[in-house]
Amino acid sequence: MGVPRCRPSAPAAPAPPARRRAALPAAGLALTAALALTGCTSSGYPADPEGTFDKASGGTLEVGVVHHPPYVDASGAEPSGSEVELVEGFARQIDAEIEWTVSGEEAVMTALQKGDLDLVAGGFTSQSPWSTHGAMTRHYAETTGPDGKPVKLVMAVPLGENQMLTELERYLDVAHQGAQP
Amino acid sequence: MSQKDTQQHSGKDSVEDSNGQRRFGRTELPPELQEAVKRAIRLEWITIGVLAVIVAAVALVMGNSQAMKAAWIEDLLSFIPPIAFLIAIRIINNPPSRKQPYGNHRAIGVGHLVASVALLVMGAFLVVDSAIGLITAEHPPIGSFHLFGHTIWQGWFMVVVMLLSVPGPVILGRMKLKLAKQLHNKVLYADADMNKADWQTGLATAVGVAGVGLGLWWFDGVAAIFVGASILYDGIRNLTTAITDLTDTRARTIEGNEEHPVIYQAEDHASSTDWVRQAGARVRDQGHVFHMEMFVVPEPGAALTLDRLQSLRDSLAELDWKLEDIVVVPVPELPAEVHGGTATMQSEGGQEFQEA
Repeated sequence: MGVPRCRPSAPAAPAPPARRRAALPAAGLALTAALALTGCTSSGYPADPEGTFDKASGGTLEVGVVHHPPYVDASGAEPSGSEVELVEGFARQIDAEIEWTVSGEEAVMTALQKGDLDLVAGGFTSQSPWSTHGAMTRHYAETTGPDGKPVKLVMAVPLGENQMLTELERYLDVAHQGAQP
Repeated sequence: MSQKDTQQHSGKDSVEDSNGQRRFGRTELPPELQEAVKRAIRLEWITIGVLAVIVAAVALVMGNSQAMKAAWIEDLLSFIPPIAFLIAIRIINNPPSRKQPYGNHRAIGVGHLVASVALLVMGAFLVVDSAIGLITAEHPPIGSFHLFGHTIWQGWFMVVVMLLSVPGPVILGRMKLKLAKQLHNKVLYADADMNKADWQTGLATAVGVAGVGLGLWWFDGVAAIFVGASILYDGIRNLTTAITDLTDTRARTIEGNEEHPVIYQAEDHASSTDWVRQAGARVRDQGHVFHMEMFVVPEPGAALTLDRLQSLRDSLAELDWKLEDIVVVPVPELPAEVHGGTATMQSEGGQEFQEA
């Protein structure tokens, strides 16, 4: 995708907090003006602050997986399993080559937080404590957890990469429509 | 008081006393104010209803946005003033008793103080929390909703809910402001003032979320700081007024920026009485009504009769409905702290206070 991207990754000059009511309308105007003036032509709305989706589209999708059959089976030469198939389908849709990283939960989630990975799968559920390290998708399916209670299956993308998050959720909605609650 | 014999038809409101009269303790209200109290109560119930809908809608869509969280907390806090008002208006309906000899007007001040502390604490928390989020560069993840076969970015729902939440409170705020001035009710005034300014935080939040959509993650935190700062500012302002009233500061207008004109009016009225040489009043704001101690220096040789004191007291009460709890105190010279007073003696200094 040859679309120029802009990645304001740091607040250029975050306006100081309004001290008085009267400052608020002015600040609101300033924010609106900033929105209008940002010549940011990202490829989508919502856009990714770090351009994760744009970089992966037509390029390489860095996927971290954790061995967790039947969702991810990393015992073979190439990962397999239901979530691996979903990720492969997503990569096909955005015309991306997948580069797999197989490791433990902490390792892949830390890599995701650092921005080294674009997507993490491994039978994670909506109750996962790793939501501090990555943005969990809306659940794409429900199953039964080890304690017999229903759990909701999710995947993870980098925090705040909202285009990536929304596009993956859109794909999962279609790919797994039958499993929608 | 001339208004005492006003008849009022029995209304529908459950908080009225047996004959349908609404009163502020000992003070019976003229008919137009009876009507104003009923309208204020109705508007506060409507406010609570509107807020409940807004809070539920925001909770549905807020996701991980810090600005939405701030706006949601603001909406939750907005429940406190109407509830404080409704409780206080019930309590002050009771006339003064042996246990509560000044009546229950301070209920308004207590409600005001509680509401302002809540605003102050939550405002400060939100400013700090949002600032930490900005400094540590927390990127808010905002995903999508799946509705009717479409996958739609959640931010759009946030923007729509925030924009829809703007008009209701602003309209209610404007309506309540008028009643608050009429009733001299500072809780209602603070509530109305906050509602009226609500559109700013609603708009700031919508802009913050829209900015995140552009990939400008820090818009969310900046918008949250705006919302937090506006709550904090409300808290500080209301706390100042609440403390001013509870510490018996000389009665001020409802905006709190000048002394209440009724003080001068009452002093002029007392001084113009033929047997009074000089008059000065100590007036404190008890909530809706004032407590007035009118110090009078009699003309030399003038007879201080009970009749004279009583008729001065009664004519003062007729100046304004807020004046009902009045004592007239004859003194040799005015105490230093009342208007026009020059003497070195203090009104607190163990004099014999004579209630007319």
